[in-house]
Amino acid sequence: MFGWTGTILNIDLSSRAAWREDLSVELLHAYLGGRGLGVRLMRGFHALDPFDPVMPLIFAVGPLCGTSAPTAARLTVVSRSPLTGTIYDCSAGGRFAWRLKGLGVDALRLSGRSETPVTLVVTAGGVEFVDVPELWGQTVPETVAALSGRGSVAAIGPAGENGVLFANIMMGEGNSVGRGGLGAVMGAKGLKAVVVNGDIPVAVADRERFDRARQDVMRLFRASPVIFGELGIAEYGTPALVDLMRQRRMAPTENFRHTVFEGSANYSGPAIRSAYQAKKDGCYGCPIQCKKSTPRGEHLPEYETVSHFGALNGIASLDVIVKSNTLCNELGMDTISAAATLSAWGEVRGRFPGGEEVQRLLVDTALRRGDGELLSLGSRRAARALGRPELSMEVKGLELPAYDPRGAYGMALAYCTSNRGGCHLRAYPISHEILRKPVATDRFSFSGKARIIAIAEDTNAAIDSLVACKFSFFGATLEEYAELLSAATGTEYTPQSLKEIGRRICLTERFYNCANGFDVKDDCLPARFFAEPGSSGEGVDIPPIDRGRFDEELQKYYRIRGLTPAGTFADPDFLLTQP
Amino acid sequence: MRDQVSVYTNKLIADRSAHAQGIAIAAQDDVLIAGGAPDLARLAGDVLSRLTCLGMVVACPSLPFADFLVARAPAGESCIVPRDTETRTFLHDIPFLRRSDLGADPAPVIARLLGSRKGVVVEGVGIVASGALTVEQAYINYSSVFHSTFVKYLQDVLHHGFILPGEAEAFAAFRSQWLRPLTDEGLAFRSGPLAERDEILDEIATVGRYTVERGLVDSFFGNISCRAGEVIYISQTAASLDSLAGCIDPVPTDNSSTFGITASSELLAHRRIYEATGAATILHGHPKFAVIMSMECAEEGCAITDCWKECDRVRFLGDTPVVAGEIGAGGLARRVPPAIAGPRKAVVYGHGVFTVGETDFADAFRALVSVENWCRGEYFRRLEERLG
Ligand code: SF4
Ligand SMILES: [Zn+2]
Ligand SMILES: [Zn+2]
Repeated sequence: MFGWTGTILNIDLSSRAAWREDLSVELLHAYLGGRGLGVRLMRGFHALDPFDPVMPLIFAVGPLCGTSAPTAARLTVVSRSPLTGTIYDCSAGGRFAWRLKGLGVDALRLSGRSETPVTLVVTAGGVEFVDVPELWGQTVPETVAALSGRGSVAAIGPAGENGVLFANIMMGEGNSVGRGGLGAVMGAKGLKAVVVNGDIPVAVADRERFDRARQDVMRLFRASPVIFGELGIAEYGTPALVDLMRQRRMAPTENFRHTVFEGSANYSGPAIRSAYQAKKDGCYGCPIQCKKSTPRGEHLPEYETVSHFGALNGIASLDVIVKSNTLCNELGMDTISAAATLSAWGEVRGRFPGGEEVQRLLVDTALRRGDGELLSLGSRRAARALGRPELSMEVKGLELPAYDPRGAYGMALAYCTSNRGGCHLRAYPISHEILRKPVATDRFSFSGKARIIAIAEDTNAAIDSLVACKFSFFGATLEEYAELLSAATGTEYTPQSLKEIGRRICLTERFYNCANGFDVKDDCLPARFFAEPGSSGEGVDIPPIDRGRFDEELQKYYRIRGLTPAGTFADPDFLLTQP
Repeated sequence: MRDQVSVYTNKLIADRSAHAQGIAIAAQDDVLIAGGAPDLARLAGDVLSRLTCLGMVVACPSLPFADFLVARAPAGESCIVPRDTETRTFLHDIPFLRRSDLGADPAPVIARLLGSRKGVVVEGVGIVASGALTVEQAYINYSSVFHSTFVKYLQDVLHHGFILPGEAEAFAAFRSQWLRPLTDEGLAFRSGPLAERDEILDEIATVGRYTVERGLVDSFFGNISCRAGEVIYISQTAASLDSLAGCIDPVPTDNSSTFGITASSELLAHRRIYEATGAATILHGHPKFAVIMSMECAEEGCAITDCWKECDRVRFLGDTPVVAGEIGAGGLARRVPPAIAGPRKAVVYGHGVFTVGETDFADAFRALVSVENWCRGEYFRRLEERLG
C-alpha cells in the first residue's frame, strides 16, 4: 500500500491484550486518516460515557505522515470529551506521529482500563505493558525524561490522572493534545504514557509528482505574509497576533467584559522575542517552525495562552504569563480552558487572580484540592455551581479562545456550529476575517458567512484527516495538498473530493452529538455577546451582536447542512448511508 | 449576495476583461442565485451547484486569446501552462475543455475540472472561475486566468507566429482597438514630501485607483507604499488596488509591532528598497507587456532551468534592469533593491515592475508608465521583425 499502512493496532488495557487488524481500503479512501478515521471508528461508541472503560481513545495518523509533505508529521487523537460531552478530536505535531506510523499502523485504538498505572511501549519487537507506579503523580517532563530512552512519548500529567476535565495529553517534545480533556480519558484508563518507536518508511506512489507538489507548497509558504513574512508566525510565533487583535479591538479582556487590554504590548511577539531571546522551534519536520522557546529550551506560550493568561485575567506581567504556561504544560492542562476558567471564577468572586495566586490555583486545579476542585471542572460547571452560569464564556462547555466574537461575526457563528464546542480552529474564519487569507471578508457582516463556515468546516476536516497543520493554509490550498495526497497514495483526490470527505466527517460528528442530545439550544453564544458592547474606539465600533441576524444565519447553516430547524437530522439512519 | 453579482459584473466591464453581454455570476448561500447573460447564468448555476464553493464567474473574455491557445494546443493536451508568476504560484496550470469535450450538458465536465483548479477555459464559452469563499475570489481567479492566457498567447505569437485562420485579424484588432495608449496625462498627484497620515492614506488610495484606471495593472495585482519617517504605509495583502481605503497598514520600520502581519507579501521588498534608494514611495504592479518581455531571455547555453528563482544575472529591457526572484520570502526582496537603486525602476522575471518616487508618487507613476510603454513598443517591434 502507498501512503497508508492498512493496519490498526488494538489495545485492551483491561486484559492487556494487543492485536493488529486490517483497515478496509474503502474506509481509508473515504475517511483518509487522522480525524476522519478516528471519528469513523467511534461509530457505535459515541454515546458511551467518556469515562466508561469501553470508551475508545484513538491515536490516528494520516496518509501523508511519514512523508516529507510540509507540516504533515501530525496525528489526531479522538474520543468523547468529558468537558463538553461532544465527539472530540485534537491534532498534534511531533515525532510521536512518525514513530507511530513507523510501526506500520494508521491508528492505535486503546480501550479498557488498567487497575494499576501502566505505560504502553510499542516497538518493532511488539507491545509491552509496563507497570509504572513510580511515575503516577509525576509531571509531564519527569515522565518523558524517564521514558524517552525507549522512543517517542505521549503522556499525561497529574491533571489527567486526577480527571481534570480539561487535562491534555502531552507529546514528549511539548506539543499538546489540548482543549477537550482527552488527558482525563487517558487517566481514567490508568494509562500514564504511550511510547512508540517504529521506523518503517512510508511508500510514496509517485515520487516526482510528490516533489513537484511539495515545491508548490513551499513557494506558497514563501509568498504568504502570515507564514514567512517578516512579521509572520515563523518569526514571532502566533503571538504575532497580539498586536493585530489589539488593533482590531477584539482581544477578550477580563472575562470578555472588554475587548482591549492596555497591557497587551507587554506580551506581543516583539516583546516576547526581546524578553526571552526567543528562538525558532516547532513541530518535528515542519518548515515553518512557528513555536518559540528560550535558549534553555523552555517553550514560550502561544497567542491564545498569552492573551488569556494576560488580558482575560487582567495580567500584564509577561513573566507571570510564561510561568503559567510552563506550569500548565508540566501538569498536563489546557492553557485556554485553565485561564478562561480562572477568569470566569474571578468575575464571579469580583476579583481576577494575579501573580503568584494564578500559579497556586493552577497547581490546586491539577491536584483537585481547595478551590482547584471546582476549577478542575471547567468554567461552565464552576460558574453554575457558584450560581452565576451566565459568566461562563463557552459554547457547549468549551471555553472560548482569544478572538472576541463581537469583532468577527463569522467567528461568532463558527464557535456555535463547531462540533467540539467553542473552538476557533474548526472553520477558522480568523483566516479571512482578520488575516485576509485566502481573501478578505467583512468581519462585521453575516452575509454569506453560513456558507463560508460550512465550506471551511469541510475543508478543515479534510486537513485534520491528512493530517496537516492549519497554518499551512495561510499559504497553500487544498489544490496542492490534493496533489501531495494523490502522489503519495496513488489514488486521485481533488480539492472537491477532499471537501466532500470533510463534509461526511462533519456530519458524522454532528450526528453523534445529536444522538447525545445536542441541538439548536447548544449552538449559541453566552448572552453577554448579544447584550454588551466590546471596547469601541479609534474609529472602530464594537457593538453587541445582533441576535436576530445571528439566528437567521444559523438557520441558513442548518439548511446548507441539510439539517432540521432544530439543528438535528431528519433521517435517523443517516450513518447507515455513509461508508 | 445580489449586490455582489452587480458589483463584479461592473468590475469585469470596467477592466475590459470580459464582453459586457457575456458575463454571468452565480453565488450560493442557503439558496443559489445567478445573474447576467441567461445562458451563461444557467451554466454558472449548474456548475456551482456541483461544487463546494460560494461563488462563480462565467464570462466570455474580451479577447479571443484563451480560445486561440486551446485551438493551438496539440491534440492530446488538456491544459495550458503559462509561465508568468501568477500562474506558477497560484494557478499552476489552466485546464481546458475543447468544444468536442462538452457534450449536451457541459456542466458536469466543467465542474469536474473546476473541482481541482480555480479557473478553466471552455472553448467557445469562455473562462469559468470559482471562488471558494466569496464572489470576489471568483472574480480574482477569472482575472488571473485572463492575465495568464494573455501573457501566454502573446509569448506564443512572438515565438511561433500566427497559425490559425483569423488569428492575424483578431490580433490586429486587439492592437488597434483593445489596446489604449498608456499615459499619466491628466492625473493629479499630491506634491511631496508627504507627511500627514491622512494625506498619505488618501494619496495611496488615489494612486492605487489610477494604476487600475489607466490599465497598468489588474485591480487585484500589485502593491503600493509610502514611507514617512519611521512608518511605511503599505497596501494590505489581497487588497484591490482600486479600493484601498481601509486596506493600508502603517508598519513601523523598527518592527516594534506586528499588526502589519496583514500587509502585502512584498513588505520586506519595500522595506529593503527604501533602505537601498532613500526613496519616499514605491509602486508595484504586473503590467502585461513588462511581464512578457521580462521572460524573453537571449542568453544561450545558460545552465539555469528555474529562471524565476535562480537567475542571478541582471539583464536589461532598455534601461530597466530585470532580475529574478520569487514572491515574498522567495528572493525578490533580495535581488530587487540593489538593482533598483540606480535606475529607480526594475522588472522581476515573469512577475512585474517596481518603481520608486523621490518625494511623492508622480515620478513613480510616470516610470511605471514608461517601462510598460517601452516593453509594449519593444514587443511589437520584435513581433514585426519576426513576422517580417
Ligand atoms: S506551523 Fe507551527 S504548529 Fe503547524 S506544524 Fe509547523 S511548527 Fe507545528
Ligand atoms: Zn507582484
Ligand atoms: Zn499579474
